[in-house]
Amino acid sequence: MLVLSAACAAGALVLSACGGGGAGESADGSVTLKLVAADYGDKASNSSTVYWEDVAKRFEAANPDIKVDVQVVNWNDIDAQVKTMIQSGNVPDVLQTGGYADKVADDLLHKAEDVLSPATLDNLVDTFAEAGEVDGVQYGIPFVSSARALFYNKKLLADAGVTEPPKSWADIEAAAEALKKKNPDVVPYALPLGPEEAQGETLIWELGNGGGYTGEDGAYTLDSKANVETFQWLRAHLVEPGLTYSNPAATDRKTAFADFAAGKVGMLNGHPSLIQMSKDGGVDYGVAPIPGKDGALDSTLGVADWVMAFKDSGHQEEIRKFLDFAYSKENTLKFDEMYNLMPVTEDTLQEMTSNGKHKDLEPFFELLPKASFYPLGDTSWDAVSAEIKKSGGTAVGEDPAKVLGDLQKKAEQIAANQ
Amino acid sequence: MSSNVTSGGRRPPRSGRSGTRRSGLGRLGPLPWIGPAVLLIVVVVLWPVYEMVRTSFLKISVSGFVRGWAGLDKYRQLFDEPDLGSVITATVVWTVGVVALTMVLSLGLAQLFNQRFPGRRLTRWALIAPWAASVLMTAIGFKWMLDRTAGVLNTLMTDLGIVDSPEDWLGDPSTAWPWMMFVAVFVSLPFTTYTLLAGLQTVPGEVYEAARVDGAGVWQTYRRITLPLLRPAFLVGVVINLINVFNSFPVIWGMTRGGPDSDTATTTVFMYQLKSSDIGESAAMSVVNFALVVVMVAAFLKVSRWNQEEA
Repeated sequence: MLVLSAACAAGALVLSACGGGGAGESADGSVTLKLVAADYGDKASNSSTVYWEDVAKRFEAANPDIKVDVQVVNWNDIDAQVKTMIQSGNVPDVLQTGGYADKVADDLLHKAEDVLSPATLDNLVDTFAEAGEVDGVQYGIPFVSSARALFYNKKLLADAGVTEPPKSWADIEAAAEALKKKNPDVVPYALPLGPEEAQGETLIWELGNGGGYTGEDGAYTLDSKANVETFQWLRAHLVEPGLTYSNPAATDRKTAFADFAAGKVGMLNGHPSLIQMSKDGGVDYGVAPIPGKDGALDSTLGVADWVMAFKDSGHQEEIRKFLDFAYSKENTLKFDEMYNLMPVTEDTLQEMTSNGKHKDLEPFFELLPKASFYPLGDTSWDAVSAEIKKSGGTAVGEDPAKVLGDLQKKAEQIAANQ
Repeated sequence: MSSNVTSGGRRPPRSGRSGTRRSGLGRLGPLPWIGPAVLLIVVVVLWPVYEMVRTSFLKISVSGFVRGWAGLDKYRQLFDEPDLGSVITATVVWTVGVVALTMVLSLGLAQLFNQRFPGRRLTRWALIAPWAASVLMTAIGFKWMLDRTAGVLNTLMTDLGIVDSPEDWLGDPSTAWPWMMFVAVFVSLPFTTYTLLAGLQTVPGEVYEAARVDGAGVWQTYRRITLPLLRPAFLVGVVINLINVFNSFPVIWGMTRGGPDSDTATTTVFMYQLKSSDIGESAAMSVVNFALVVVMVAAFLKVSRWNQEEA
């Protein structure tokens, strides 16, 4: 282990060779763009490689002097691989992955306006474009999105005599109690606060009480009064009465989703990928807005994946041509439909809302323009998010104020070190 | 020892230190033979240790950029971690507990396998199984067997009436620790048992015969003869297990990932958890781990008077 960790650390050190410029230009004057993207597929036939190779082929046909070198990496490895690329000076021109702000901190990225034509820039849904900003300047270009809503098992709720989906926290508690009474084997409300995605479930609940991760000035407020109250409520009304998993802090989202798709969970917060899972599991599900403390929220947690362009090679013009091509309606629509993801561009959003092929996504389309995000534009967010994933969930077990207070202290420390 | 490489013809001098002129390779003495091994040690042991120590003094951004020298900041940050105290306590309990249990059980098993009984060859082979399987695989296997909804052990225990309803064994630190220790002992037994078995087979039969003639009882024979003669093998077993169990990453990572929070983490797992937020601090934890293991083994060897065996 020692040797292994030391070797990893050593790998992280080979990064003085981050120069560059002029890479990828061949003798005949053609330019090769290096595209690195995440794989949204789960098998060879629906791998994102298929999609990107096709986009690249059509783009090259239209722009004979630009070649696109496509490299698709699976989600588990992409962060580490990109780190290695950056450290070894083999920087991609265009990268599509889950976050961007940490690269802004090291001044690696083009501004969005430098690599998108005004028309393409204008076509991005405003909430997402804003989520791509660091200190008011947009670097992150949204690529796909998803939003959260409350999923409930219609049959289980009906059997327990609950006729309407819950709107407030009190409704959730009442419905959960009814579910438990009727069927003790069912988990009434699935609260996944394990390391996989504690930061998501936490924020959804905190939004319900008017809380959140940052205040108006952008500084972290992880232990605000509203947030502490949220966890006190969760602890007293869901965890202690046994209306959710016995150890939420050790339960991951994928467990909760799998349990819901197996008909063992009454209610949970989910995103559109749960639609197909529920259908496959034969669960008759309903979707409702996220319940807040006093009533259903009109906002929700939005999650987006990002495209960014690196400055290293100096291919700004070619990158602009490629991104304008990749963000045409034809391409974005194809990608979103291929994986049942939500669009981030106005024209595709309109098309998907109106073409009648996406009835099951409709509740989510309505939520999109009002989505709240993680503090994605904060360059310290990745590190803070890692801390929340690790220990945030324990706030429902121990003293919430202490757990959140410790997290806040860490977040301030991380922000100060940026 | 250098006589092999001196050029042919002339009789090599009896003493290697007599200062006779030697040609080429001979002058290098044993270096060509131990050279590759030394090189290997330098490349795969010393260099990583150097890099590990160096990293612990660096400030590294989340995206992997070195932002400069951090001095002792990362160590300060590490010792300020609110979880560190409980993690170290857990590491001590884990290491001592698992090694002690392993040694006691292995003593018994080795004694058993040293007897002649039908099927001994088969059972000796069977004992290798947990050793032959990858530890991570074993850990993940147990994780699923203990799963709250689908675990076969949970179903079994419910059916046998040991528990009322399936429990989330690994979600709660108070039940996760015993199960992880069980798995750690399970994977440590084969090596330890075989080491002790080898030790038992070196004890000459005449000694037992003499003891029997002198009228020593079974327990007395075991305590006065078997155990003392088993000491070298026993010490090897303890030292290697101490290092292995202290560094035992796959069992814990495979079963709980040290969670919730760091409630089921040892210092090795804690180091890995830190990696996601701060590589420098994680390297500082590695350095501390390294020091702990060296100190622990040195202390143990001193207490057990390792070298007196030959005296």
